[in-house]
Amino acid sequence: MIPFQTLCERFSKALGFLGRMAIFSLIVAMLYEVVARYAFGAPTLWAFDISYMLNGSIFLLGAAYSLQEDAHVRIDFLSQRFPLRIQQLLNGAVYLLVMAPITFAFTWVAATKALKAFSTGEVESVSPWAPLVWPFYGVIALGLIAFALQFVVEALKYLSGQKQPGTAESEITELEI
Amino acid sequence: MAPLLMFAALFVLVFAGVPVAFSLIIIAVVFGYTVFGDLIFLQLYGPLLSTASNFVLAAIPLFIFMGAVLERSGIARRLFHALQLWLGGFPGGLSLSTIAMCAIFAAASGVVGAVEIVVGLMAIPPMMKAGYRNDLIAGTICAGGSLGTIIPPSVIVVVYASIAQLSIGQLFAASIMPGFLMVVFFVGYILIRSLRNPADAPPLPIHDRAIPLKEKMTISLTAMLPPLALIVMVLGSLLAGIASATEAAAVGAAGTLLLTLMFRELTLKLVMDSLGVTLRITAMIMLIVAGGTMFTSIFAVTGGGGLVRDAVESIGYGNFGIIAFFLTVVFFSGFVLDWVSIVLIFVPIFAPIVKSAGIDPIWFAMMVLVVIQTSYLTPPMAPSIFYLRSIAPRSMTYGQMYRGVLPFVGAQMLVLVVIVFFPATVTWLPSILVGL
Amino acid sequence: AEVEWKMTAGVGEGSFLYQNFMERFVGNVATLTQGRVEITSFGAGVLAPAFKAYEVVQDGIVEAGHSTPSYLVNQDATNAIFASFPGGMSAEATLHWVYEGGGEEMLQTFRREEMGLHSIVVGIGTSEIMAHSNVKIETVEDLAGLKYRTSGAFAAVLQNEFGGVPTVVPGNEIYTLLQRKGVDAIEWSTPGANITEGFHEVAPYMIMPGVHQPSFLWEVFVKQETWDALPADLQTLITAAAKLTTYEGYTRFGDSDVKAMADFRNTNVELVVMARAESEKIREAGRNWAQTQAKTQSEAGSRRMQDILDSYLAYQSNWAANSGYLVRDGAE
Ligand code: NA
Ligand code: NA
Repeated sequence: MIPFQTLCERFSKALGFLGRMAIFSLIVAMLYEVVARYAFGAPTLWAFDISYMLNGSIFLLGAAYSLQEDAHVRIDFLSQRFPLRIQQLLNGAVYLLVMAPITFAFTWVAATKALKAFSTGEVESVSPWAPLVWPFYGVIALGLIAFALQFVVEALKYLSGQKQPGTAESEITELEI
Repeated sequence: MAPLLMFAALFVLVFAGVPVAFSLIIIAVVFGYTVFGDLIFLQLYGPLLSTASNFVLAAIPLFIFMGAVLERSGIARRLFHALQLWLGGFPGGLSLSTIAMCAIFAAASGVVGAVEIVVGLMAIPPMMKAGYRNDLIAGTICAGGSLGTIIPPSVIVVVYASIAQLSIGQLFAASIMPGFLMVVFFVGYILIRSLRNPADAPPLPIHDRAIPLKEKMTISLTAMLPPLALIVMVLGSLLAGIASATEAAAVGAAGTLLLTLMFRELTLKLVMDSLGVTLRITAMIMLIVAGGTMFTSIFAVTGGGGLVRDAVESIGYGNFGIIAFFLTVVFFSGFVLDWVSIVLIFVPIFAPIVKSAGIDPIWFAMMVLVVIQTSYLTPPMAPSIFYLRSIAPRSMTYGQMYRGVLPFVGAQMLVLVVIVFFPATVTWLPSILVGL
Repeated sequence: AEVEWKMTAGVGEGSFLYQNFMERFVGNVATLTQGRVEITSFGAGVLAPAFKAYEVVQDGIVEAGHSTPSYLVNQDATNAIFASFPGGMSAEATLHWVYEGGGEEMLQTFRREEMGLHSIVVGIGTSEIMAHSNVKIETVEDLAGLKYRTSGAFAAVLQNEFGGVPTVVPGNEIYTLLQRKGVDAIEWSTPGANITEGFHEVAPYMIMPGVHQPSFLWEVFVKQETWDALPADLQTLITAAAKLTTYEGYTRFGDSDVKAMADFRNTNVELVVMARAESEKIREAGRNWAQTQAKTQSEAGSRRMQDILDSYLAYQSNWAANSGYLVRDGAE
């Protein structure tokens, strides 16, 4: 089981790195648009599509990574009073038996849509730029499969008692919105 | 009945400690299955894709990145030091510095909790040393931390605007006055209390703040200018309308990096850490947005829209009844839910009804946002208090914290009352700043 | 009810289009079928995103959808003929082509063969305002370098023929960016719809006529097998309900447009009517664009777009040549 776990964790981390680069690219793209519009009087055709596609990519590339870091808000003032083992079993079961299958199902849909968009050469509906959408759909599918695998990994960690829900050390408690 | 069951089931999962986003998705899948059968994943992929493709939400990672960089650079530390030099001598001076600090940071960035932790770490030791009462310390820091949602820019406004189809620029402009009022009421409470009971908040010893005026000015300028520059960059470009919210956020993010560079605090580690935090929080918020959209979609299909409309009609009392009902729902949800979930679950249900009732959507949005702000402070689910708990010394008890935030919740309610009776407090600025 | 459909819209609940086309159609169907067909409608974003209405019906997630061919122009330019394009017919002539000139049948064949859908026209709209603008647009030369919020066929024509810069602005930011000159000009909708958006308060000029979008069309569609499974009498009644909706919606649009135009005259906005010779240049460019698209498709092996375009343009020429007998209530 260890190689599987390591593999998934590395996959999530790699996507996390791409997600960080996407954030950086988003800043650059939006700045370029502002400068192009006011300094050169020529707004780009692509800034609108690029920015939502980058933000969507940040979201999905970061999904598995955020799960790894237990960054998803939970309301645990009640559940923290359950015995630790119960908390672990509950979270492990929900992740393994519910969330992992759901996310795999979404991955399937996303991959189907991406393949279809690829084979039909589908383009963005209303944008004058009309970019092909399959790369974006592909990133969504990629993010979802990593997310699904990470659910399995996290579930194993909970069930084997390696991890405790809601205690992962992360700046999430320091940087809430 | 199904829509009500959805809420019941949601609360069971949420209180069992399952992350909110996952709970929303699970409930949507289970109840959606009864309508769509095997096609449910195809159906729910729609909300997932539209969340991922939402241009307006692209402002979120940018505002978070700004906050993350600000938190890690020395900008906050210098600002607090400068404020303390000026305000420390007043009764309750350290509390006032804390509120001022929070307000300035709230106006410079869209992220808040960071401010609470940073300010808390800096402010608690001197306040305790000066002999401040624990409940005043707790109240000040928690309330100050919550300012970021109401003082623009704010991530919550971005999400609200995208769901209710409102202009972010107008909503930001609308929230300036309530934010200002809230600071005034907070300050008013601190002053009155410190003047009546000087022992609750003794002034800072003179040797902690007696430095030559020239030095004081230099320190103040270097400390105040960076945050002010950021405020001008973000709010200026947005309210001047030269940039959309997403673009203004990008300008702010780049500006923050530039300032950090100018103070020679920019390191690769700082950038990578900030990007990491941004990635995590963005994914977290976006997943709640996606989950919330799935939840409300299934809620609507199973007849939830009609249910809410019937409830609203049965209450009567016209628009006043509608507003009172919605705000009450938001207030009590705030006891147990976080803001993203509240906005995501209720705004899609409220917005069409508010629109067809002819209620000014900006006015309504501001009332909702002020009420949501109380959710940071109201137990049992009070994020502000949790952050404080994570940094406060053991000698500060939960009881003191809860007592401490109560007057500040009162101040927030006072702002709500002002908005209810004087809608101009929220409609006037958008009309002159953004036109109308 | 005997038949129950969920229907997803291409516009948000509470919008003028939603009330005028969606809710009206749902009501007309219920009335004409005496409750045998019950359609529950949902605004865009509830069941499916606005631009995905066709896809979710094809996927079988919901039975019926409501959208405009405009949203499919990037996928297949044939849709631009049905959706109307720069150079296209007036709303009045379009109405005649759709119901008397074989337009709706061509749309139905097109939808059936390409998408497996049965389509029924439920709305034909009036001309849009060509622009709310910070710049006075009187000649096509004025379009050069103009930052113009638009999409579809006009975006292509604007960019390729007149050197304009089409740009995308999210719906709720248009007002602010127009006011602060982030864009020079925007097109949105008909006079009746635009007046509530308040663009005339922030941009000094209102440019007409709306040759960029002389008319527009909305359709309701279900899977072909869903349609074929209906009893013949219900098919007839639903078709009648759709046609009734088109006619009722058309006059509702026209009525609110002229009232809005009267209101515009009482504001500070300057109404600019482009000289006919100039606006005809845009129409000519639009027809050339359509011809080029049709030619590209023919070369790729499909004559369909060319055939539909030929029918459309022939109807337009005939209408132009022979409608002089009609009394016009124009001012000049
Ligand atoms: Na803020
Ligand atoms: Na709370």
